[in-house]
Amino acid sequence: MDLGLQGKKAIVVGGARGIGYAVAEILAREGADVAISARGEDSVKDAVAALGRYGTHVVGKPCNVKKADDYKAWLEWAIEALEGVDVLVPLSSAGGGMGSEKYWHNAFETDVMGPVRAVEAVIPVMTQRKGGSIVLVATTSALEAMGGPQAYNAMKASLITWGKQLALAHGKDGIRVNVVSPGPIEFEGGNWDMIKGTMEKFYQSQLRQQPMGRLGRPEEVAKAIVFLASEAASWCSGSHLVVDGAYTNRTHF
Amino acid sequence: MDRPVTHKPVTWDTSKMDVKRVVDVIRVTPETNTSRTPVDKAPDPELGHDVIPAARYYSPEFMMLEWERIWTKVWLLGGRADDIPEPGDYICTEIGKESVLIVRQHDGSLRCFPNVCLHRGNRLRPEGIGNAQAFRCMYHHWTYGLDGKIERLPDLCTFPQGGPPGMTLPSLPVTEWNSFVWFSLNPDVEPFDDYIAPLKDHLEPYHPERMAWKRDVTVEWDCNWKASVDAFNETYHVQGIHPQLQWYLDDVNVQIDCYERHNRYLIPFAAISPRVAMPSTIPPAIEEIMRHAGMDPAEYEGRVSDIRRDVQLFKRKHGKAQGKDYSALNDDQLTDDYHYMIFPNVALNVHADDIMMFRQRPHASDPNKMLYDVWVFELVPEGQPWPERVKHRRFKHGERSIGQVLDQDAYNLPTVQAGMKSESFPGLWIGEQELRIRHFHKVLDDYIYGPGGKQEGDL
Repeated sequence: MDLGLQGKKAIVVGGARGIGYAVAEILAREGADVAISARGEDSVKDAVAALGRYGTHVVGKPCNVKKADDYKAWLEWAIEALEGVDVLVPLSSAGGGMGSEKYWHNAFETDVMGPVRAVEAVIPVMTQRKGGSIVLVATTSALEAMGGPQAYNAMKASLITWGKQLALAHGKDGIRVNVVSPGPIEFEGGNWDMIKGTMEKFYQSQLRQQPMGRLGRPEEVAKAIVFLASEAASWCSGSHLVVDGAYTNRTHF
Repeated sequence: MDRPVTHKPVTWDTSKMDVKRVVDVIRVTPETNTSRTPVDKAPDPELGHDVIPAARYYSPEFMMLEWERIWTKVWLLGGRADDIPEPGDYICTEIGKESVLIVRQHDGSLRCFPNVCLHRGNRLRPEGIGNAQAFRCMYHHWTYGLDGKIERLPDLCTFPQGGPPGMTLPSLPVTEWNSFVWFSLNPDVEPFDDYIAPLKDHLEPYHPERMAWKRDVTVEWDCNWKASVDAFNETYHVQGIHPQLQWYLDDVNVQIDCYERHNRYLIPFAAISPRVAMPSTIPPAIEEIMRHAGMDPAEYEGRVSDIRRDVQLFKRKHGKAQGKDYSALNDDQLTDDYHYMIFPNVALNVHADDIMMFRQRPHASDPNKMLYDVWVFELVPEGQPWPERVKHRRFKHGERSIGQVLDQDAYNLPTVQAGMKSESFPGLWIGEQELRIRHFHKVLDDYIYGPGGKQEGDL
């Protein structure tokens, strides 16, 4: 199956590690030009260097999504550097946390306004180009209780609602919008790697709840994201795809 | 990186170890050190690579030698000075088969006596702290004053030989230092200042007298006391039995300093071990360090790798307003674990805001058992009420938890003790990261066999 990504231009916000890096890598491998951001200068540099091996145009620059003006400037820069944009995957996240009101602000700025500002930046360009594909990344923690009452889960949940609205609003311009909710994903340096080391009992309890007896890998989510981002998913819009190895208990009617 | 790394505190090549990253730790150097506590790397002693014989952990003969040549010769930790502020306040503490009374006198000084009635040998007091006007033996009411003199000997006229010599309990050396009391079973022990050298400069800046009891626990462990000392003298075991600490401290970039009989190591805390990948979110245990300092981890905008330095700067800036006087400490001491071993049996994790220390006591008769005392003290900020003293608790290993990390240590030790008796185990195969263990055993050797006197075939 041809994904039709050859020559496409993709922005991955938070593309230096984990699922974001895996998305950027598959996009580059499939022939797309890619722009990535991350907080750290070194991590962006390393990721851009690694992604360069697929021979497409890969650019990156560090950016703190929480700083709205810098972030908007970064988005403009990325669109300019790629000379357009066909695919947007904004997945930087402030992560979880309880016990401080600040976590709500962090989650709002990063997990909500991160995608919102990116979408606002790409919609005019995609409209002009008569098409585009946006994949928002939520979480299974929005669907089922996980980790206690916290901003992360609630803010991520808003993306599921907003993603559908976007799809309805921009379908007429050929822009598709989908949402992917990954379950727990493990990779070196990721949260579940740390949880495995620091809270082994909790980690094991999660493992026992996994029908396949393991956590997911970044590329297993990234493939689903890239599929939805690609031309191969031309009739998928407004959908919400849970990629969790059947981890969540709910049934998807 | 506002300070250059100039001295080489770590002697092994961290890049060749089982690590994922090579980390340059920002450290206070001898040039930038603002504390009386030195940070200079002591030259590593040449201690060879011999196996340390396993039999010294279970041999009754070696236990006897330790008793004769160490326990009855050196200065020993008795307790906390602020437990006995008033005349008549006493600490009754045991070491091996002996028990002593450390008593506050009317003039404020301390005296120490064996806790034994000179009549028929009864113990005068059970272990613990208390207050007494006099020490009256329950058996026949022989009564000793706070100074150890016999005040009353009922029916003295029925003892034709008179009372025991001098009508007094023998006096044992005792002193007070840095909020702790120290005693010796050796009447001819060297001056305490000579014995503790060079640690006065090291430990006084922590001002333990500003800290209050937080925990006072004694656990009976099924291992030799030295197995416990060893367990806290190296960070090599972190990757083995404390994997969670790799997201809390740097177990690889550790400075070891061996002195004449004591030693220490300096472990960066609020750091990520080079053995694991750098996480992008703050580990919960490091969040606790930040909260304790008064920082909100949710507000933190820096990188996880910058947290240690930022906590130092934050504490330096805000400590005073929090009633915490850090002026005697250098920046590293505001986060790191300066871990001391005071020979033979005291391990101290000293921190700016707390001290967690262990006193590791031999069993009275069984080399396979020991008493593990956990003492924790916490800084009481100026202007805050001094908390009530915690109660002492005593139990056997496994009956109760003593916290995740210490449980992990404790869980392991009985199997170490059992395994050491194997015919196939000649002794400890010690690496560079375990230099303090080798140094500890060298000091033991010097006490037992005389300096350099250990012969081929000696345990």
